[in-house]
Amino acid sequence: MSQGNRKLRLYVTIGQRLFRDSLLFQLLLHNEIDLVGESETGIDTLKSLESARPGVLIIEENLPDNDGLTIAEHALSEHPALAVLLISDTPVSANRLAIYLEAGIKAVVSKHQPIQDLVKTLFYIRNGQVYVGAWQKPDAPSQGMLNAYNALSGREREVARLIASRIPIKDIAEQLGVSCKTVHSYKDRIFVKLGFERLPELILFMKRHHNGAAA
Amino acid sequence: MAITEEPHIFLRYDCENARRTFEDELGNDLRIDAFPTDQAAISALEHCPTPPNALFVLASQSPIQASPPLLVHARDTHPDLLKILISDTVPLDMLVSLLEQRLVDRCFEQPVDPDLIRSHVLTSALASKPSLQGVVSVPAAEAPIVLIVDDESTATKYLARQLERMQNDFRVLCADSAEQALETIRSQSGTVAVVMTDQRMPGMQGKELIDELKQSHPATIRILTSAYGEVHVALDAVNEGEIFRYQKKPWRATELLPLFQEAVSRHLTLASARENTLSQLERQFSELRRQRRARLLENLSAPVNSAAGAPAMSLFLQAVDAIPCLAANSSHLRASLETSLEKDLVQQFGEQVQQQLTRLQVTASASTKLDETSVLAALQSAGLAKDEHHNATSTLSVLCQTLTTLLAASGQDWRTLQLSQPSDNQLVLASTAPLKLYAHLLAPLTRLSRPLLEQQVALLLLFVTTHQLGGELQINGAAQSYELVLSLPLAKATVA
Repeated sequence: MSQGNRKLRLYVTIGQRLFRDSLLFQLLLHNEIDLVGESETGIDTLKSLESARPGVLIIEENLPDNDGLTIAEHALSEHPALAVLLISDTPVSANRLAIYLEAGIKAVVSKHQPIQDLVKTLFYIRNGQVYVGAWQKPDAPSQGMLNAYNALSGREREVARLIASRIPIKDIAEQLGVSCKTVHSYKDRIFVKLGFERLPELILFMKRHHNGAAA
Repeated sequence: MAITEEPHIFLRYDCENARRTFEDELGNDLRIDAFPTDQAAISALEHCPTPPNALFVLASQSPIQASPPLLVHARDTHPDLLKILISDTVPLDMLVSLLEQRLVDRCFEQPVDPDLIRSHVLTSALASKPSLQGVVSVPAAEAPIVLIVDDESTATKYLARQLERMQNDFRVLCADSAEQALETIRSQSGTVAVVMTDQRMPGMQGKELIDELKQSHPATIRILTSAYGEVHVALDAVNEGEIFRYQKKPWRATELLPLFQEAVSRHLTLASARENTLSQLERQFSELRRQRRARLLENLSAPVNSAAGAPAMSLFLQAVDAIPCLAANSSHLRASLETSLEKDLVQQFGEQVQQQLTRLQVTASASTKLDETSVLAALQSAGLAKDEHHNATSTLSVLCQTLTTLLAASGQDWRTLQLSQPSDNQLVLASTAPLKLYAHLLAPLTRLSRPLLEQQVALLLLFVTTHQLGGELQINGAAQSYELVLSLPLAKATVA
């Protein structure tokens, strides 16, 4: 595709260092993301946008120095092609979301949503599109994944449990009496079915929802 | 208007299985009324009291006809209804023809991404589109420009000359890259009515240019053109770039002339509609601002002025009013009219000011010796204890704390202030760089934030404490910023 090789030029404005780092560690796992700048304040962000020229700005609603939304509005008045993803402290009602979208924000993700939602949203808005997730029903976000897990075969669930316990593939193969290649193909299938890309996602999921249950 | 319940859609299907899959994937988020025939859907459209948020046509068995009666009906009777076609395959010719007849707004090939589909419907349902019906388009003062973007500059130059000879309604300019096109659009401030761009060019691609223009110049009509039948690029350009047409190459001037004429007239309608909306918004907001100011004055003039011994409340409002912020847009208006923003603003600002005034009553009883050393010391300690505003012991320290808050909001601190003594009994503190103020109490707001209230309370308090100390505060507003000059009488112990 024509835009396949186009990097996503990202700028991140988040006040707290720990939160910013955690998010960046996740986002930078994606090859297509090119971090072109970061700040903890709105003032710094507005100062650096001209030279950093990001395509997407992730900005927190509550910044230490200014309101993130106000800063985003000013950024947009200078750089109308910028796609802004606002991180809100609380889930946003449909009415407020409508106001944000009219202000030119492309998407809102609340701090109560899983990281996967943020990553997905980020890619949807990269070309300047608006993305609205399912605001209607703040359903248990992991229900879909639990269903997917329950749809795994017994063997797949067993392999998922072993992998999540950090047992090496070689040992799993030995334990189950199959080849390493077979275990790898189970692993691939599990990741595809659960929508995971990396081991920590699987470990966290198993710890949260199946600690010991699948044993 | 914003929707409070799940969006309602009409679904025209030709295959039971496809309908079931669609309902499985989207039935949770959308209220779906499904119809097996055009007639059934048309009759429902005619009889439903409020039109649905979107109309889906799910063409899975047979390719869609050239002008499906349902889509024609929807276009003619519900011009604002979002029309979405989902088909197993979309031949480029079909897409070109549907676009030409304005029969679809979005078009997808199977398999579709339900998240994306849902987002399109929700976004459209949440947006309040200004209706174009009844808009009288004002002819442009200068001849509108049609910009042709293609890296084969000999071909475009020849075409441009041909088109210019054929008519006097618009001028034709050429750019041989997307980058140059953006440059031209910027330099022609608002007169570029139509951009027709090739997809394949060195550097920035046509689709990227279209995406950028959709954001930065929404009233500029976008046309994509290509010699290659890349249907995916065309689909993306329709769904993401909301293009007006897809024009296949080779070009013929006789075909392009009516296309450009139609596009220019569409641009004039869009531009006039935007202008109407903007001036209407400006009027509505200035009335809101008047009411807000009146309520703030009524609420706070008495306590603030009596604490300051001067008309500090109106001085403060005058000062912020002279700091221009962004122009009001529909998001601000909706926040003011549809949420409790206006009420909360007056109430929360009032409460915080009252709190601070009570604090000042205590500190004002302590005597303050005013000289350069004490001012510097107070500034320094206020800078250190930014977050502990409760330990202020004198009016001077409160004054310095408010200064610190205002400076910090601009990424500055007390060291950026210039101190001078123009005479024996006067100390002047002046900002050396403009202090930023991106929003204030009389500006259009979408949200009431903690920093906004904090900074506004600080500015008001700066007026109050300056007057309490017998000084004078001058705020010179500029675009989203201000300069500050504060003069204090020296060597005089002030006792409240």
